[in-house]
Amino acid sequence: MTGMSLSVQSIWACSILAQLIALTLLLLRKNASKIPFFTTYIVLNLCQAGFMLVLALIPTLSRATFERLSWLAEAITLLAQAVATTEILGLTLRPYPGIWGLAWRALVAVSSLVVLILVWVTHAQGIGQLWFQLNRGYHLTFATAVIACLALVRYYSIRVPSPFKMILAGFCLNSCVEVLVNTLIQVLFHKGYAVYQAAWEIVTMISFVATLTIWIVALWKPFPVDARQIALPSDSTYRRLSPEINERLREINEKLLRLWKMEARPE
Amino acid sequence: MTYAFIALFLFAFLLLVLLGLVLRDPNRVPRPNAAEGLTEFPDRTHVTFFPQIKQALAVQDFAYLASLGRNALANRVCKERRKIALTYLACLRNDFQTLWRLGRVISSMSPQVGTAQEFRRLQLGLAFSLRYEMIRIKLLFGFAPLTDFGALSEVVSRLSIRMETAMRDLGERAALAAKPSSSLDGRGLDVS
Repeated sequence: MTGMSLSVQSIWACSILAQLIALTLLLLRKNASKIPFFTTYIVLNLCQAGFMLVLALIPTLSRATFERLSWLAEAITLLAQAVATTEILGLTLRPYPGIWGLAWRALVAVSSLVVLILVWVTHAQGIGQLWFQLNRGYHLTFATAVIACLALVRYYSIRVPSPFKMILAGFCLNSCVEVLVNTLIQVLFHKGYAVYQAAWEIVTMISFVATLTIWIVALWKPFPVDARQIALPSDSTYRRLSPEINERLREINEKLLRLWKMEARPE
Repeated sequence: MTYAFIALFLFAFLLLVLLGLVLRDPNRVPRPNAAEGLTEFPDRTHVTFFPQIKQALAVQDFAYLASLGRNALANRVCKERRKIALTYLACLRNDFQTLWRLGRVISSMSPQVGTAQEFRRLQLGLAFSLRYEMIRIKLLFGFAPLTDFGALSEVVSRLSIRMETAMRDLGERAALAAKPSSSLDGRGLDVS
Protein backbone atom coordinates (compact mmCIF):
# COMPACT_ATOMS: atom_id res chain seq x y z
CA MET A 1 0.00 0.00 0.00
CA THR A 2 1.27 3.44 -0.84
CA GLY A 3 2.80 5.16 2.11
CA MET A 4 1.28 2.80 4.68
CA SER A 5 3.49 1.60 7.49
CA LEU A 6 3.52 -2.04 8.55
CA SER A 7 1.58 -1.30 11.73
CA VAL A 8 -1.14 0.50 9.77
CA GLN A 9 -1.31 -2.37 7.32
CA SER A 10 -1.67 -4.87 10.18
CA ILE A 11 -4.53 -2.96 11.76
CA TRP A 12 -6.11 -2.54 8.35
CA ALA A 13 -5.94 -6.33 7.84
CA CYS A 14 -7.52 -6.82 11.29
CA SER A 15 -10.36 -4.49 10.40
CA ILE A 16 -11.04 -6.39 7.16
CA LEU A 17 -11.04 -9.67 9.07
CA ALA A 18 -13.45 -8.22 11.63
CA GLN A 19 -15.72 -6.94 8.86
CA LEU A 20 -15.74 -10.38 7.25
CA ILE A 21 -16.67 -11.96 10.58
CA ALA A 22 -19.46 -9.42 11.07
CA LEU A 23 -20.79 -10.08 7.57
CA THR A 24 -20.62 -13.85 8.05
CA LEU A 25 -22.52 -13.53 11.33
CA LEU A 26 -25.13 -11.34 9.68
CA LEU A 27 -25.69 -13.97 7.01
CA LEU A 28 -25.42 -17.06 9.21
CA ARG A 29 -27.75 -15.78 11.92
CA LYS A 30 -30.19 -14.57 9.30
CA ASN A 31 -29.96 -11.04 10.64
CA ALA A 32 -29.09 -9.59 7.24
CA SER A 33 -32.72 -9.58 6.16
CA LYS A 34 -33.72 -7.77 9.34
CA ILE A 35 -31.17 -4.98 8.92
CA PRO A 36 -30.45 -4.85 5.16
CA PHE A 37 -28.98 -1.34 5.19
CA PHE A 38 -26.55 -2.19 7.94
CA THR A 39 -25.52 -5.29 5.98
CA THR A 40 -25.05 -3.09 2.91
CA TYR A 41 -22.90 -0.78 4.99
CA ILE A 42 -20.60 -3.65 5.98
CA VAL A 43 -20.44 -4.85 2.37
CA LEU A 44 -19.63 -1.32 1.20
CA ASN A 45 -16.85 -1.09 3.75
CA LEU A 46 -15.36 -4.31 2.39
CA CYS A 47 -15.74 -3.00 -1.16
CA GLN A 48 -14.00 0.18 -0.08
CA ALA A 49 -11.09 -1.84 1.29
CA GLY A 50 -10.89 -3.79 -1.98
CA PHE A 51 -11.06 -0.57 -3.96
CA MET A 52 -8.21 0.92 -1.94
CA LEU A 53 -6.16 -2.18 -2.53
CA VAL A 54 -6.73 -1.97 -6.28
CA LEU A 55 -5.82 1.73 -6.27
CA ALA A 56 -2.65 0.98 -4.35
CA LEU A 57 -1.64 -1.60 -6.92
CA ILE A 58 -1.80 0.89 -9.80
CA PRO A 59 1.75 2.23 -10.05
CA THR A 60 0.95 5.13 -12.36
CA LEU A 61 -1.68 6.62 -10.05
CA SER A 62 -0.66 9.96 -8.59
CA ARG A 63 -0.97 10.60 -4.85
CA ALA A 64 -3.48 13.38 -5.39
CA THR A 65 -5.77 11.14 -7.44
CA PHE A 66 -5.35 8.35 -4.90
CA GLU A 67 -6.41 10.66 -2.08
CA ARG A 68 -9.33 12.07 -4.04
CA LEU A 69 -10.64 8.62 -4.89
CA SER A 70 -10.10 7.42 -1.31
CA TRP A 71 -12.14 10.29 0.10
CA LEU A 72 -14.85 9.64 -2.47
CA ALA A 73 -15.07 6.01 -1.39
CA GLU A 74 -15.13 7.18 2.22
CA ALA A 75 -18.00 9.56 1.46
CA ILE A 76 -20.06 6.70 0.05
CA THR A 77 -19.55 4.54 3.15
CA LEU A 78 -20.34 7.50 5.41
CA LEU A 79 -23.60 7.97 3.57
CA ALA A 80 -24.33 4.27 4.01
CA GLN A 81 -23.52 4.65 7.71
CA ALA A 82 -26.15 7.37 8.07
CA VAL A 83 -28.74 5.24 6.29
CA ALA A 84 -27.88 2.16 8.39
CA THR A 85 -28.21 4.17 11.60
CA THR A 86 -31.55 5.57 10.54
CA GLU A 87 -32.65 2.01 9.85
CA ILE A 88 -31.68 0.87 13.36
CA LEU A 89 -33.37 3.87 14.96
CA GLY A 90 -36.46 3.29 12.84
CA LEU A 91 -36.61 -0.37 13.93
CA THR A 92 -36.20 0.64 17.57
CA LEU A 93 -38.99 3.17 17.40
CA ARG A 94 -41.27 1.28 15.01
CA PRO A 95 -43.83 0.47 17.71
CA TYR A 96 -43.87 4.14 18.70
CA PRO A 97 -44.88 6.12 15.60
CA GLY A 98 -45.47 9.31 17.57
CA ILE A 99 -42.03 9.29 19.14
CA TRP A 100 -40.42 8.33 15.83
CA GLY A 101 -42.11 11.36 14.27
CA LEU A 102 -40.64 13.50 17.02
CA ALA A 103 -37.26 11.79 16.79
CA TRP A 104 -36.66 12.36 13.11
CA ARG A 105 -37.61 15.99 13.47
CA ALA A 106 -35.16 16.25 16.36
CA LEU A 107 -32.53 14.56 14.19
CA VAL A 108 -33.01 17.08 11.41
CA ALA A 109 -33.02 20.04 13.81
CA VAL A 110 -29.93 18.96 15.72
CA SER A 111 -28.06 18.02 12.54
CA SER A 112 -28.86 21.36 10.91
CA LEU A 113 -27.70 23.24 13.98
CA VAL A 114 -24.41 21.36 14.19
CA VAL A 115 -23.81 21.77 10.44
CA LEU A 116 -24.39 25.52 10.72
CA ILE A 117 -21.97 25.79 13.64
CA LEU A 118 -19.37 23.75 11.78
CA VAL A 119 -19.69 25.87 8.64
CA TRP A 120 -19.10 28.90 10.80
CA VAL A 121 -16.11 27.36 12.59
CA THR A 122 -14.42 25.59 9.66
CA HIS A 123 -11.67 27.43 7.77
CA ALA A 124 -10.03 24.97 5.41
CA GLN A 125 -6.84 25.81 3.54
CA GLY A 126 -6.44 23.49 0.61
CA ILE A 127 -8.38 20.48 -0.59
CA GLY A 128 -6.68 18.02 1.78
CA GLN A 129 -7.64 20.04 4.82
CA LEU A 130 -11.13 20.52 3.47
CA TRP A 131 -11.73 16.76 3.14
CA PHE A 132 -10.36 16.30 6.62
CA GLN A 133 -12.64 18.89 8.12
CA LEU A 134 -15.65 17.68 6.19
CA ASN A 135 -15.01 14.22 7.58
CA ARG A 136 -14.81 15.58 11.10
CA GLY A 137 -17.90 17.69 10.59
CA TYR A 138 -19.84 14.70 9.39
CA HIS A 139 -18.82 12.57 12.39
CA LEU A 140 -19.66 15.36 14.80
CA THR A 141 -23.08 15.89 13.26
CA PHE A 142 -23.72 12.18 13.13
CA ALA A 143 -22.76 11.53 16.75
CA THR A 144 -24.74 14.52 18.03
CA ALA A 145 -27.86 13.52 16.13
CA VAL A 146 -27.73 9.89 17.26
CA ILE A 147 -27.06 10.79 20.89
CA ALA A 148 -29.92 13.32 20.81
CA CYS A 149 -32.17 10.61 19.46
CA LEU A 150 -31.02 8.12 22.10
CA ALA A 151 -31.60 10.73 24.80
CA LEU A 152 -35.13 11.18 23.51
CA VAL A 153 -35.64 7.41 23.57
CA ARG A 154 -34.40 7.31 27.14
CA TYR A 155 -36.59 10.23 28.16
CA TYR A 156 -39.67 8.31 27.00
CA SER A 157 -38.37 5.14 28.71
CA ILE A 158 -38.44 3.18 25.48
CA ARG A 159 -36.52 -0.07 25.64
CA VAL A 160 -33.86 -0.39 22.95
CA PRO A 161 -33.11 -4.04 22.06
CA SER A 162 -29.60 -4.87 23.20
CA PRO A 163 -28.08 -5.67 19.75
CA PHE A 164 -29.43 -2.40 18.33
CA LYS A 165 -28.06 -0.53 21.28
CA MET A 166 -24.62 -2.03 20.72
CA ILE A 167 -24.69 -1.21 17.01
CA LEU A 168 -25.64 2.40 17.71
CA ALA A 169 -23.06 2.63 20.49
CA GLY A 170 -20.42 1.36 18.06
CA PHE A 171 -21.31 3.98 15.47
CA CYS A 172 -21.28 6.78 18.03
CA LEU A 173 -18.08 5.63 19.67
CA ASN A 174 -16.33 5.51 16.32
CA SER A 175 -17.55 8.97 15.35
CA CYS A 176 -16.63 10.52 18.70
CA VAL A 177 -13.14 9.03 18.58
CA GLU A 178 -12.73 10.30 15.00
CA VAL A 179 -13.62 13.83 16.10
CA LEU A 180 -11.41 13.67 19.19
CA VAL A 181 -8.45 12.32 17.28
CA ASN A 182 -8.83 14.67 14.34
CA THR A 183 -9.05 17.68 16.59
CA LEU A 184 -6.33 16.64 19.00
CA ILE A 185 -3.84 15.73 16.32
CA GLN A 186 -4.61 18.88 14.40
CA VAL A 187 -3.88 20.96 17.51
CA LEU A 188 -0.79 19.03 18.57
CA PHE A 189 0.83 18.85 15.16
CA HIS A 190 0.07 22.11 13.53
CA LYS A 191 2.66 21.52 10.83
CA GLY A 192 0.64 20.08 8.00
CA TYR A 193 -1.47 17.02 7.50
CA ALA A 194 1.26 14.72 6.20
CA VAL A 195 3.03 14.83 9.58
CA TYR A 196 0.26 13.20 11.55
CA GLN A 197 -1.28 11.06 8.82
CA ALA A 198 0.21 7.79 10.17
CA ALA A 199 -0.92 8.53 13.75
CA TRP A 200 -4.36 9.48 12.50
CA GLU A 201 -4.65 6.28 10.47
CA ILE A 202 -3.57 4.05 13.37
CA VAL A 203 -5.90 5.57 15.95
CA THR A 204 -8.94 5.75 13.68
CA MET A 205 -8.40 2.19 12.50
CA ILE A 206 -8.05 0.91 16.06
CA SER A 207 -11.26 2.73 16.91
CA PHE A 208 -12.97 1.11 13.92
CA VAL A 209 -11.70 -2.35 14.92
CA ALA A 210 -13.06 -1.75 18.44
CA THR A 211 -16.39 -0.76 16.91
CA LEU A 212 -16.41 -3.90 14.79
CA THR A 213 -15.69 -5.99 17.87
CA ILE A 214 -18.73 -4.48 19.60
CA TRP A 215 -20.81 -5.29 16.51
CA ILE A 216 -19.54 -8.86 16.39
CA VAL A 217 -20.66 -9.33 19.99
CA ALA A 218 -24.04 -7.79 19.09
CA LEU A 219 -24.43 -10.01 16.05
CA TRP A 220 -23.24 -13.18 17.76
CA LYS A 221 -26.78 -14.37 18.42
CA PRO A 222 -29.83 -14.02 16.17
CA PHE A 223 -31.84 -10.94 16.98
CA PRO A 224 -34.66 -11.69 19.41
CA VAL A 225 -38.13 -11.54 17.98
CA ASP A 226 -39.50 -8.08 18.56
CA ALA A 227 -42.45 -8.84 20.79
CA ARG A 228 -43.03 -5.25 21.76
CA GLN A 229 -46.64 -4.48 21.25
CA ILE A 230 -48.13 -1.40 22.73
CA ALA A 231 -51.66 -0.24 23.04
CA LEU A 232 -51.90 2.85 20.95
CA PRO A 233 -54.60 5.18 22.13
CA SER A 234 -56.39 7.23 19.55
CA ASP A 235 -54.79 10.42 18.37
CA SER A 236 -57.59 12.38 19.98
CA THR A 237 -56.68 10.96 23.40
CA TYR A 238 -53.25 12.55 23.17
CA ARG A 239 -54.59 15.78 21.75
CA ARG A 240 -57.12 15.97 24.55
CA LEU A 241 -54.87 14.93 27.41
CA SER A 242 -51.53 16.47 26.56
CA PRO A 243 -52.55 20.15 26.67
CA GLU A 244 -54.59 19.44 29.78
CA ILE A 245 -51.66 17.80 31.55
CA ASN A 246 -49.42 20.68 30.57
CA GLU A 247 -51.98 23.16 31.80
CA ARG A 248 -52.16 21.37 35.17
CA LEU A 249 -48.41 21.25 35.40
CA ARG A 250 -48.27 24.95 34.64
CA GLU A 251 -50.80 25.59 37.40
CA ILE A 252 -48.70 23.62 39.86
CA ASN A 253 -45.68 25.62 38.86
CA GLU A 254 -47.56 28.84 39.38
CA LYS A 255 -48.63 27.68 42.83
CA LEU A 256 -45.06 26.78 43.61
CA LEU A 257 -43.97 30.20 42.50
CA ARG A 258 -46.55 31.79 44.77
CA LEU A 259 -45.34 29.59 47.59
CA TRP A 260 -41.87 30.87 46.97
CA LYS A 261 -43.00 34.47 47.12
CA MET A 262 -44.94 34.04 50.33
CA GLU A 263 -43.22 34.26 53.66
CA ALA A 264 -45.76 33.26 56.28
CA ARG A 265 -43.40 32.50 59.11
CA PRO A 266 -45.18 31.01 62.12
CA GLU A 267 -44.92 33.19 65.16
CA MET B 1 -8.95 29.00 15.72
CA THR B 2 -7.46 27.39 18.81
CA TYR B 3 -10.60 28.15 20.79
CA ALA B 4 -12.61 26.43 18.09
CA PHE B 5 -10.40 23.35 18.38
CA ILE B 6 -10.74 23.29 22.14
CA ALA B 7 -14.50 23.66 21.83
CA LEU B 8 -14.65 20.84 19.29
CA PHE B 9 -12.52 18.62 21.47
CA LEU B 10 -14.59 19.29 24.57
CA PHE B 11 -17.79 18.80 22.63
CA ALA B 12 -16.63 15.42 21.33
CA PHE B 13 -15.64 14.44 24.85
CA LEU B 14 -19.02 15.57 26.14
CA LEU B 15 -20.68 13.46 23.47
CA LEU B 16 -18.78 10.40 24.71
CA VAL B 17 -19.94 11.07 28.27
CA LEU B 18 -23.50 11.58 27.08
CA LEU B 19 -23.31 8.35 25.11
CA GLY B 20 -22.35 6.53 28.29
CA LEU B 21 -25.23 8.18 30.15
CA VAL B 22 -27.93 7.43 27.60
CA LEU B 23 -26.82 3.81 27.27
CA ARG B 24 -26.32 3.00 30.95
CA ASP B 25 -28.13 0.30 32.91
CA PRO B 26 -31.46 -0.26 31.18
CA ASN B 27 -32.97 -1.86 34.30
CA ARG B 28 -33.09 1.53 35.97
CA VAL B 29 -35.30 2.87 33.24
CA PRO B 30 -38.98 2.21 33.87
CA ARG B 31 -40.61 0.67 30.82
CA PRO B 32 -43.76 2.14 29.44
CA ASN B 33 -46.62 -0.19 29.77
CA ALA B 34 -50.20 0.68 30.40
CA ALA B 35 -50.70 -2.18 32.84
CA GLU B 36 -47.55 -1.23 34.75
CA GLY B 37 -48.69 2.34 34.71
CA LEU B 38 -51.89 1.30 36.36
CA THR B 39 -50.22 -0.79 39.04
CA GLU B 40 -47.71 1.90 39.89
CA PHE B 41 -50.41 4.49 40.18
CA PRO B 42 -51.14 4.88 43.89
CA ASP B 43 -54.67 4.35 45.08
CA ARG B 44 -54.30 7.25 47.42
CA THR B 45 -52.02 10.16 46.72
CA HIS B 46 -50.29 12.13 49.44
CA VAL B 47 -52.34 15.22 48.82
CA THR B 48 -55.13 13.58 50.80
CA PHE B 49 -53.09 14.09 53.95
CA PHE B 50 -53.10 17.83 53.57
CA PRO B 51 -55.60 18.57 56.39
CA GLN B 52 -53.40 16.69 58.86
CA ILE B 53 -50.29 18.54 57.68
CA LYS B 54 -52.13 21.83 57.89
CA GLN B 55 -53.24 21.03 61.42
CA ALA B 56 -49.74 19.95 62.40
CA LEU B 57 -48.32 23.25 61.26
CA ALA B 58 -51.07 25.49 62.54
CA VAL B 59 -49.68 28.68 64.08
CA GLN B 60 -52.17 28.49 66.92
CA ASP B 61 -50.54 25.35 68.35
CA PHE B 62 -47.17 27.03 68.68
CA ALA B 63 -48.75 30.19 70.02
CA TYR B 64 -50.65 28.19 72.62
CA LEU B 65 -47.51 26.36 73.79
CA ALA B 66 -45.61 29.63 73.91
CA SER B 67 -48.38 31.27 75.94
CA LEU B 68 -47.99 28.51 78.53
CA GLY B 69 -44.37 29.50 78.84
CA ARG B 70 -43.11 26.30 77.26
CA ASN B 71 -40.90 27.88 74.65
CA ALA B 72 -38.51 24.93 74.48
CA LEU B 73 -41.35 22.55 73.84
CA ALA B 74 -42.85 24.92 71.28
CA ASN B 75 -39.53 25.04 69.45
CA ARG B 76 -39.16 21.28 69.50
CA VAL B 77 -42.67 20.77 68.22
CA CYS B 78 -42.08 23.37 65.52
CA LYS B 79 -38.90 21.63 64.43
CA GLU B 80 -40.47 18.20 64.34
CA ARG B 81 -43.52 19.40 62.48
CA ARG B 82 -41.33 21.19 59.95
CA LYS B 83 -39.66 17.85 59.30
CA ILE B 84 -43.07 16.39 58.67
CA ALA B 85 -43.83 19.23 56.25
CA LEU B 86 -40.60 18.53 54.38
CA THR B 87 -41.47 14.86 54.11
CA TYR B 88 -44.89 15.81 52.87
CA LEU B 89 -43.37 18.10 50.26
CA ALA B 90 -41.13 15.25 49.09
CA CYS B 91 -44.17 13.00 48.80
CA LEU B 92 -45.95 15.66 46.77
CA ARG B 93 -42.99 15.70 44.46
CA ASN B 94 -43.24 11.93 44.10
CA ASP B 95 -46.89 12.34 43.18
CA PHE B 96 -45.96 14.97 40.64
CA GLN B 97 -43.22 12.82 39.16
CA THR B 98 -45.48 9.81 38.90
CA LEU B 99 -48.07 11.87 37.06
CA TRP B 100 -45.44 13.44 34.87
CA ARG B 101 -44.06 10.01 33.99
CA LEU B 102 -47.52 8.80 33.13
CA GLY B 103 -47.86 11.82 30.87
CA ARG B 104 -44.75 10.64 29.04
CA VAL B 105 -46.19 7.13 28.77
CA ILE B 106 -49.31 8.54 27.13
CA SER B 107 -47.11 10.48 24.72
CA SER B 108 -44.95 7.48 23.89
CA MET B 109 -48.04 5.44 23.06
CA SER B 110 -49.70 8.06 20.94
CA PRO B 111 -49.63 7.75 17.16
CA GLN B 112 -48.84 11.44 16.85
CA VAL B 113 -46.87 13.57 19.26
CA GLY B 114 -46.83 17.34 19.31
CA THR B 115 -43.33 18.78 19.59
CA ALA B 116 -44.57 21.97 21.21
CA GLN B 117 -46.58 20.08 23.83
CA GLU B 118 -43.68 17.82 24.70
CA PHE B 119 -41.22 20.68 24.91
CA ARG B 120 -43.62 22.59 27.09
CA ARG B 121 -43.96 19.64 29.46
CA LEU B 122 -40.21 19.25 29.68
CA GLN B 123 -39.91 22.94 30.44
CA LEU B 124 -42.61 22.69 33.12
CA GLY B 125 -40.92 19.70 34.69
CA LEU B 126 -37.66 21.56 34.95
CA ALA B 127 -39.36 24.61 36.38
CA PHE B 128 -41.18 22.46 38.91
CA SER B 129 -37.96 20.83 40.07
CA LEU B 130 -36.31 24.21 40.50
CA ARG B 131 -39.20 25.72 42.42
CA TYR B 132 -39.62 22.64 44.56
CA GLU B 133 -36.00 22.92 45.65
CA MET B 134 -36.44 26.60 46.40
CA ILE B 135 -39.47 25.95 48.60
CA ARG B 136 -37.72 23.08 50.32
CA ILE B 137 -34.79 25.33 51.18
CA LYS B 138 -37.23 27.94 52.41
CA LEU B 139 -38.82 25.37 54.73
CA LEU B 140 -35.43 24.14 55.87
CA PHE B 141 -34.51 27.64 56.93
CA GLY B 142 -37.61 28.02 59.03
CA PHE B 143 -40.08 29.73 56.75
CA ALA B 144 -43.46 28.06 56.45
CA PRO B 145 -45.31 29.08 53.30
CA LEU B 146 -48.34 27.09 54.27
CA THR B 147 -51.28 29.15 53.12
CA ASP B 148 -50.92 27.94 49.58
CA PHE B 149 -50.27 24.32 50.41
CA GLY B 150 -53.98 23.69 50.09
CA ALA B 151 -54.15 25.05 46.57
CA LEU B 152 -51.07 23.11 45.57
CA SER B 153 -52.48 19.88 46.95
CA GLU B 154 -55.76 20.51 45.23
CA VAL B 155 -54.07 20.90 41.86
CA VAL B 156 -52.10 17.68 42.31
CA SER B 157 -55.24 15.91 43.41
CA ARG B 158 -57.21 17.04 40.35
CA LEU B 159 -54.36 15.97 38.11
CA SER B 160 -54.25 12.59 39.83
CA ILE B 161 -57.91 11.94 39.17
CA ARG B 162 -57.55 12.98 35.54
CA MET B 163 -54.51 10.79 35.00
CA GLU B 164 -56.09 7.86 36.79
CA THR B 165 -58.98 7.97 34.34
CA ALA B 166 -56.59 8.20 31.40
CA MET B 167 -54.50 5.28 32.61
CA ARG B 168 -57.57 3.14 33.18
CA ASP B 169 -58.52 3.90 29.60
CA LEU B 170 -55.05 2.85 28.44
CA GLY B 171 -55.22 -0.30 30.57
CA GLU B 172 -58.43 -1.29 28.86
CA ARG B 173 -56.82 -0.70 25.49
CA ALA B 174 -53.83 -2.79 26.53
CA ALA B 175 -56.18 -5.61 27.42
CA LEU B 176 -57.81 -5.28 24.01
CA ALA B 177 -54.40 -5.29 22.32
CA ALA B 178 -53.66 -8.64 23.95
CA LYS B 179 -56.47 -10.14 21.83
CA PRO B 180 -55.24 -10.01 18.22
CA SER B 181 -58.45 -11.54 16.93
CA SER B 182 -60.32 -8.43 17.92
CA SER B 183 -58.00 -6.06 16.09
CA LEU B 184 -59.48 -3.67 13.61
CA ASP B 185 -56.37 -2.03 12.30
CA GLY B 186 -53.83 -4.81 12.26
CA ARG B 187 -52.13 -3.60 15.42
CA GLY B 188 -54.38 -5.33 17.81
CA LEU B 189 -56.05 -2.11 18.70
CA ASP B 190 -59.53 -0.92 18.82
CA VAL B 191 -59.19 2.75 18.29
CA SER B 192 -62.80 3.63 17.94
